[in-house]
Amino acid sequence: MTILRIATRETASYFRSSIGWVAISLYLLLSGFWIAFAALRPGEPATLRAFFGVSQWILLIVAPAISMRLIADEKRTGTFEALITAPISDWQIVVGKYLGALAFFAAMLLPTLAYVGLLETISDPDYGPILSGYLGLLLVGSLYLAVGLFTSAVTENQIVSLLSTVFFFILLELLSTTGGQWLGPPFDEALFSLSIFLRIADLAKGVIDTAHIAAFLAASAWFVVLTVVVVESRRWR
Amino acid sequence: MISLRQVHKRFGRVEAVRGVSLDIQQGQIVGILGPNGAGKTTTVRMIAAAIPPTSGSVEVAGMDAVGRSLEVRRKMGYMPESAPLYREMRVRDLLRYRAGLFGLTGKRRAEAVSRAAAQCQLDAVMHRRCGELSKGFRQRTGLASVLLHDPEVLILDEPTSGLDPAQIAETRSLIKGLAGRRTMLIVSHILPEVEKSCDRIVLFASGLIQADGAPDDLIRQLPGSEQYTIESRGDRPADDLFRALPRVESVESAALADGWQRCTITFSRSTPDQREHIARAAAEANLLVRELHARVTTLEDVYLRLVSSALIPPPPVAAATGAESSRSKIRRGGPEGAGMGGAPR
Repeated sequence: MTILRIATRETASYFRSSIGWVAISLYLLLSGFWIAFAALRPGEPATLRAFFGVSQWILLIVAPAISMRLIADEKRTGTFEALITAPISDWQIVVGKYLGALAFFAAMLLPTLAYVGLLETISDPDYGPILSGYLGLLLVGSLYLAVGLFTSAVTENQIVSLLSTVFFFILLELLSTTGGQWLGPPFDEALFSLSIFLRIADLAKGVIDTAHIAAFLAASAWFVVLTVVVVESRRWR
Repeated sequence: MISLRQVHKRFGRVEAVRGVSLDIQQGQIVGILGPNGAGKTTTVRMIAAAIPPTSGSVEVAGMDAVGRSLEVRRKMGYMPESAPLYREMRVRDLLRYRAGLFGLTGKRRAEAVSRAAAQCQLDAVMHRRCGELSKGFRQRTGLASVLLHDPEVLILDEPTSGLDPAQIAETRSLIKGLAGRRTMLIVSHILPEVEKSCDRIVLFASGLIQADGAPDDLIRQLPGSEQYTIESRGDRPADDLFRALPRVESVESAALADGWQRCTITFSRSTPDQREHIARAAAEANLLVRELHARVTTLEDVYLRLVSSALIPPPPVAAATGAESSRSKIRRGGPEGAGMGGAPR
């Protein structure tokens, strides 16, 4: 119940603050442009694969912008002090905040369902890849937010949180794809498995591999746990 | 109600609190005084179960603040410095949210919000966003948010910081009204606020308790607290005359440019008012007197005397292994009687 209370406040706070609306506007604007000028063209297949492809890049900026304030801003403004002196545990605070950001992220994706409606009016789309594509966006979003939550706990500076999250994923992608190609067998398989974009590409094609789902969920959970450890570290530092 | 035993708190290489022992009874209003970095906020954060001590024990209502931190926090209302609030939330929503965090739901929550809002006179601003509030109302909202669960212990960190004089007076009267059976700790470096609101003062400096007692007791025990200044002119040196008075500890004399002589007479501690005796002695010696006044010692004198003496460089962390060793160092560098007061332990 406490987690839900914290999550609800967190989600509502995005809608009450400019950062939430900026994030939604930025995402819808950029993805909308992409749909209008790159995806919906005569002769193109009736899929949203291009939208899912570009979304993972846009979300690489937008999701860390959502998560950057989660703990850093509370520490900066001092509200975190009031939170940790309430009779709630650190993991309830962290999980509540994470779920709140995730709920806002999911709400941000909702308007893009209009693209599905648009596709339906002009063609006969296959809903399998669309559903798995959205699942992919939710999974990649949950991972971006989890890493962003972690960096937000490490620093009091929101910009540092945002930049370090973005750099982390760019570095991870470079290391996994370019590194995998450069090193070749037998290392390439292991390195490719670290690539988020390769996994998302599979989901956008309609390939629902439980390994992908498990990888995203496990990595997200791992960073949430790490965040709890960082928040708890004030007790033994 | 609150008991600290040999509490140390280290942040990396910095030892913020160096062996503090303190007992606070239920219903006491205790002012925690000290300069910035004295260890007062760290101490109350440990009492509020926000951080654990590096060593030593902190107990609130008989419960260990580390082992049973959630239960301790349920009994505690802690308002951090500058009463931080979620700027985007409306006052009513914020109070409802905070009440929920303390486990209040439904009717109990509604009642708690109404009661706290009435106590802090927030009814007129309940619909306003916290970011739009004046500093005074922000402070009141912060106060209301820690009163929702009717805590047994209330800790207010710099409750009047940044307020104008009218707001300070309002907040002070509000705080006084909250006392009653509650135990209250008011952290501040604004001396008049503490002197007027608290019945006991604990003075911190360099991570140690330098003095502990009722404000009047602390003032009385300050060395040289019975001090008188007299400006006179006559045929014989006034300082010799005053030195002959009973219980005089010292007389400092200075010749003024206009031919008058100023004497500062210090009597031994707890001597009753000596103005009459001084005036009589001056009259009998045919001294012409143009000024005689007693120097009233204030809490500020106590504060400055003890804090300045304690702000000698603290010993290295490795050397400060126990409270006794730390205290003795402070005493050596401090005035006679530093560490006075004899905490009601």
